Amino acid sequence: MEVLSALATGFSVAFTPLNLFLVLFGCFTGTLIGSLPGIGPINGVAILLPLAYSIGLPPESALILLAGVYYGAEYGGRISSILLNVPGDAGAIMTTLDGYPMSKRGEGGRALAISAVSSFAGSMGALLMMVIMAPLLSELAIRFGPTEYVMLMVFAFTCLATMVGSRPIKTLIGTLIGLVLATVGVDSGTGVLRFTMDIPNFFDGVDFLVVVIGVFAISEVLVLLEQWVNNDLKVTPVGKSFVTFADIVKVRWVILRATVIGFFIGVLPGTGASIASAVAYGTEKRMAEGDSDEFGKGDIRGLAAPEAANNASAAGAMVPMLTLGIPGSGTTAILLGALLMFNITPGPLLFEQKPEIAWGLIASMFLGNIALLVLNLPLIGVFVRLLSIRQSYLIPVIVMLTFVGIYSIHGDSFDLFFMVILGIFGFILRKLHFSLAPVILGLVLGEVLEENLRRSLSMSGGDWSILLSGNITIGLAIASVLALVLPFLLKRIKGKGRTAQLQAELDD
Amino acid sequence: MYDRIFAGALLLLSGLIAWAAAQFDVPFQYEPLGPKAFPYILSALLAVAAVWLMIRPSADDWKPTKEVVLRLGGALVLMYGYAFIYEPLGFIIATAIVGGVFSWLFGEKPIKAGVYALVMSVMSFFLLTDLLQLNVPVGTVFGG
Repeated sequence: MEVLSALATGFSVAFTPLNLFLVLFGCFTGTLIGSLPGIGPINGVAILLPLAYSIGLPPESALILLAGVYYGAEYGGRISSILLNVPGDAGAIMTTLDGYPMSKRGEGGRALAISAVSSFAGSMGALLMMVIMAPLLSELAIRFGPTEYVMLMVFAFTCLATMVGSRPIKTLIGTLIGLVLATVGVDSGTGVLRFTMDIPNFFDGVDFLVVVIGVFAISEVLVLLEQWVNNDLKVTPVGKSFVTFADIVKVRWVILRATVIGFFIGVLPGTGASIASAVAYGTEKRMAEGDSDEFGKGDIRGLAAPEAANNASAAGAMVPMLTLGIPGSGTTAILLGALLMFNITPGPLLFEQKPEIAWGLIASMFLGNIALLVLNLPLIGVFVRLLSIRQSYLIPVIVMLTFVGIYSIHGDSFDLFFMVILGIFGFILRKLHFSLAPVILGLVLGEVLEENLRRSLSMSGGDWSILLSGNITIGLAIASVLALVLPFLLKRIKGKGRTAQLQAELDD
Repeated sequence: MYDRIFAGALLLLSGLIAWAAAQFDVPFQYEPLGPKAFPYILSALLAVAAVWLMIRPSADDWKPTKEVVLRLGGALVLMYGYAFIYEPLGFIIATAIVGGVFSWLFGEKPIKAGVYALVMSVMSFFLLTDLLQLNVPVGTVFGG
């Protein structure tokens, strides 16, 4: 019952006119951004973050807006996947496998509607699980001291290294680069300046927003420019087909399973939508054994599973972000960074001390998903038309927004130069198949990790064995070792599956 | 090969981190670790990871054509230039110029690209300043 009254508080926050407007606006913009080919959720959130900050929104409103963009883009990503065979981001790759064949045989409308319904069911199911799980997890997390946090982050980075990206070593290097960037600036413990190269702009540390926009958005422009070819992509017609009741009955268990899978993969630190949708798709294909010939040729089960899973994981990824302050994916890492910018440290106490933020966000996600279902069923035609926007009109706007956003923070051109340099760096990383999400995760968590490590060792007077002294820390250490060893064992037993391979190739 | 070069740069970086951390002048310190330990740990891990990558690099699969390299170089010069003129020339002029060239780089005809960028930058300026009240530079050369 406590949960219900907390949720009621949340809805009272979400229903204020400003927040209601921001939910709708965020969902609409997110769908729009997600449906534009090549620009995924992470870029959408990155580009809008400095704007939300500079406009001076209160923290809960800014978070509601950015979260709306995030899951709105998870909806929008399917449009270009289904109609163009171009996934907006790694999480939408699995959607192309069965979505595009359907639209090629004239069932575009049916495919879009099925994926909208699956996305909706996946989000709603995951939100319900979130409402139950988040308070439990935050109760557990209250018992976390500095040592537990250190080990939790070690676990998060291990999960990240073994499950994200093309090679564990590259993910590890990405994380380390992020952590190094986080050490720049004045040291909070002693006031010593570290790695500032005597540049005053670095005294406060490397600005999180500049790194995010540079590494993601600027490098994205370069990648789009590289891939640009002078012929317009062909949008397959949507057609008059639509989802039937029989379709939904047929995929109801698929959606349910995919939702649970997606949610829990989302909760795991470091693993996000791309892995969730790949695992859900693989599971359904195996479950349908003997009847799985249609997978990859336009089977509605193969479309419903990844769609439900990637939306469920988007909600799941919020759970560790809000309760532990450890983001579950690259995009939630950016949301976490946004909260830190507003001087709010997510963690177990967030639910008690700032219920308007935690529960307001959750309540707004219920509203947002209903809005998205409405946006995506009758209004789908509007977004489909957006697919034919030419890049020559789109790119100048993106470049402009990145510059406006970054300049509006400090009003200093230095940030603009630094952003472009980071963009080049991000581009190089992508070309060498490093994923960028670990860099952001390292940057966001670096300060917290160092602080907790130093606090732990202060407690023990310099004895490192304190890191393995409690039940929770030992449990986390074992979990980390398992996360490190299990994937290699599984790979050896089964050989590298097709989904894993696809994932590895496209996850940059 | 690219991986090896990158790993070499990382190795250099890890050395620099350790060297710079050793130079920190710490006047007082209340805890056992202090500001140097964490950078040392990162530097060591980075060095190990870099050596590993150097021993086992991935194959090079980035083989851009000459045209692509030119295009990318153009975009970089353009963005750098944008950062350079953004404050002095102001948002409207800078965005119109840079946006126009970008539009052209992505295949638009020159005149159409220029007109589009001009309309976009003027409209955005009023949208950003009046509606969103953001800090958008008018241009120091105009006394802004």
